[in-house]
Amino acid sequence: MIFREIYSVYYHTVAKILQAALSHPLSAEELQEMVEQNAFGESVLHLLPALKEEKWQVLKSDGTTPLSKAPYLPLTTVEKQWLKAIEQDPRLQLFGDISFDFPDVKPLFRPEDYLIFDRYQDGDPYEDAAYQAHFRLILDAIRNQYPLEVELKTRRGNQTKMVLLPKALEYSEKDDKFRLLGEGNRFGNTINLARIQQCRRYEKPWEAKKEEKEAPQRAYVVFTLMDRRKALERVMLHFAHFEKQAERLGESRYRVKVWYEVEDETELLIRLLSFGPLVQVKEPERMVSLLRQRLQQQRSCGL
Amino acid sequence: MAYQELMKNFNRVRDYMRDFYVYGLKRREEYTQKSARSYDDERRRMESWLGPWMQFRQSAEGKQVFLSLDSRRTKHNPLYQAWKAKSFTDGDLTLHFLLLGILQSEERGWTIRELMAQLDQMLSAFTKSRTFDESTVRKKLKEYEAEGLVEREKKGAVVFYRSGGKPAGLNVDVLDFFSEVAPCGVIGSFLLDQWQEVGDHFLFKHHYITGAMDSEVVYTLLLAMQEKRSVSLHLVSRRRNHKTTLSVVPLRLMKSVQSGRTYLMAYVPVFRRISSYRVDQIVTVEMGKESPLFDSMREKLEGMMPHLWGVSTQGRGKSRLEKVEMTIRYEENEPYIRQRLEREKRCGTVEQVGKGCCKWTAEVYDSSEAIPWIRTFLGRITEIHFSNPVVEAQFRRDLEEMYALYDVEVADDFS
Repeated sequence: MIFREIYSVYYHTVAKILQAALSHPLSAEELQEMVEQNAFGESVLHLLPALKEEKWQVLKSDGTTPLSKAPYLPLTTVEKQWLKAIEQDPRLQLFGDISFDFPDVKPLFRPEDYLIFDRYQDGDPYEDAAYQAHFRLILDAIRNQYPLEVELKTRRGNQTKMVLLPKALEYSEKDDKFRLLGEGNRFGNTINLARIQQCRRYEKPWEAKKEEKEAPQRAYVVFTLMDRRKALERVMLHFAHFEKQAERLGESRYRVKVWYEVEDETELLIRLLSFGPLVQVKEPERMVSLLRQRLQQQRSCGL
Repeated sequence: MAYQELMKNFNRVRDYMRDFYVYGLKRREEYTQKSARSYDDERRRMESWLGPWMQFRQSAEGKQVFLSLDSRRTKHNPLYQAWKAKSFTDGDLTLHFLLLGILQSEERGWTIRELMAQLDQMLSAFTKSRTFDESTVRKKLKEYEAEGLVEREKKGAVVFYRSGGKPAGLNVDVLDFFSEVAPCGVIGSFLLDQWQEVGDHFLFKHHYITGAMDSEVVYTLLLAMQEKRSVSLHLVSRRRNHKTTLSVVPLRLMKSVQSGRTYLMAYVPVFRRISSYRVDQIVTVEMGKESPLFDSMREKLEGMMPHLWGVSTQGRGKSRLEKVEMTIRYEENEPYIRQRLEREKRCGTVEQVGKGCCKWTAEVYDSSEAIPWIRTFLGRITEIHFSNPVVEAQFRRDLEEMYALYDVEVADDFS
C-alpha cells in the first residue's frame, strides 16, 4: 500500500521539528513557523495543539525532545521497488552511471509491464554517448548557472552556434524529447537537445542579451462542445494539462476557455480538429479563421 | 465527527479531485452521491492541501469550485499532496518516532525488552506519560518490518530489531524527473520530501497529472503482474453510475500521453478474451492467486500489439481486423508532413504514391480509434477508405458537419 501515514506531511513536519528541537528548545513561534512552512494550509489548527498538549509524546511542552538523535525514515520496500524499476529506464543513464543495490527487492515494474502507446516515434537518443554528455553538462550548467556555447543543426539543416545561460530542461512525454530553455541569447533560447552537436562551457566574459523575440506569449481559445459520444469527458481530459475554465450552457452544451502558449498555436489547432464537429471554436477570430482555412483546403481535396 | 484535515480512505477524495481538476463544472448541489456535508469536508481538505490552485466562480446558478493549473508551469505534481494526508492515531506517531529514534541511536540490534525499557524511559519525560504494552510495540515492529523500515534477526531464541538503512546514493534530479514521468511517481515524491536539497531543474510539457489519483490501483496492478497473479477489479462507470466486480489476469498497463488516460489490458476468463479497462474507473483491486494463464496471455497480447491503434481489441464491424487507408498531399517545401505521418503512426506503413503524395495503410482491430488522429491531417486528405463502412460513413458525416459549422462552401476547384 502506498497510502500510508509514514509518508504523510504530518510525519514529515514532525521529523523536521524534532531535528530542530535537538539543537535548542523550540519556541511556540518557531513551531508555528515550521508547521506553516512544511505542512498543509490548515495544519496549524490540528498539528500544533497535538504537539503542545503532548498528545504525541515526542516533543515536550518546553520545546525539547527526549530523543538523542533525529530519526530518519529508512527506505521502504515500496520505495526500493520503485527505484529498482526506474533503474531499467534508459533515461536514467542521462544522469550518470546510477544503479540501486537492493538485492532483496524486485522491481515494481519492468518495461514490458507499462507501455506508452501513442508517443511519437522519433524520440531523443537516450543511449547515445554524445547526447548523454550534453545532457549532463547542461544539467550541471543549470545547477551552477554558467553559460554554455552550443553548436547545433537547425530544423532547416543549417549549422549555427549560440551562447546562452541554461535555466531548465523541459521534457515532453508525447514527443519523448528534451528541450533546453535558457536566456541571454538574442536569437532564441530554446534548443532541442537532439539537435545539439557540440556543447561546452563558455569561458570568455559574457553578458546576457535580451532576446529579440518576445517572451512566450499566452493566448486563449474559446470553444463550445456538444456532449455526444462522451465528448465532455474526452475533451476535458485531453485539455486537462492546460489552465482552463468551463461552464455549462445547456443540457449537453458547454463553453470551455483554454490558455496556451502562442508558439503552440498549430499544435492546438490540430488538437481541436481531432474532435471533429463535437467542438466548435468561437474565439479568437484568428483561430476560427485558421480552422476554416484547413476545412476549405480539405474541401478542395475533393473529400 | 468533527472535520479532520487528514483522511483514512483515499477513495473518498479521488472522485472529487478529478471532478474539480478535469471538469471544474459542478456546483455543490450537483454532488448528489454523497451528503452536502461530505462535499464541504472534501472541498475544505483540498483547499488546505492545494490552496493556491483552488479557485471558484460565482454565477447566478451557484458557486463552482475548480482546480486550475497549467502543468507546464508547475515543477511537481500538486495532486501528490493528497497521498500525504493519511490519518493516524496519537499512538502511531509517538511509536514511529520513538522506536525509530531508539533503533537508530546505536548501530546494533535491540531486543524487545531493551526497546520497552528505553521507550518507557523516554515517555516518562512527559507530564501525563502514556504507556504502550509489549503486544502493541511488537505489532508496530511487525508492521514496520513488512514496510521495510525495521529489520528483524533471530539469534538462537532471541530476536533482535534494527533500523533499516539510511537512504543513500539518490540524486535529487533523478527523483524530480522520474517522480513526474514514471508510473507511481508519487513514490518518488515521498523520497523527495526527505531531501534537503532543492532541484527543480525540470519542466514538463504535455503533462497529464490526473494519473496521480490512481496510484494505489496502479501499484497493486503492477505488483500483481510481477507475481503473475489474477486480481478482482471493482469497477465503476461514472456515466451510468454502475458498479461491477470482475476477475481478470492483468497483462499490461497502457498509457496515453495524448488523452491523459491509462488502461489495463487484461485477460478476462469469463469472456475468454483480452480487454481493456480504464484505470480511473477501477475503484479497488484485490490480489488473487497466481495465474497459470499469465505467460500465454501476455504472449497473445504481444502478438496483438501490431494491430492495436489504441486499446480496443474489438471493432464495431464483423471482421476481426479492419483496414484503413489515407492518402495525403503536401508541397515540396513541406517534407515535415510526411515526417509527421511516419513518427505519429502507431502501426501500419507509409508509402510514397506520387510527388507530394503519400499513403498510410494499416490493419487494426478498431479503425474508429484512429479517426481523431486522421482528422489532424484535415486540409490534406485526398483519399480515405475504411473497410468498415459504418466507420467511413461516420467520418464523412462528421466532416460534412464540420463544413457546416464553419460555413465552408462546396469548392469549385477540385484540383
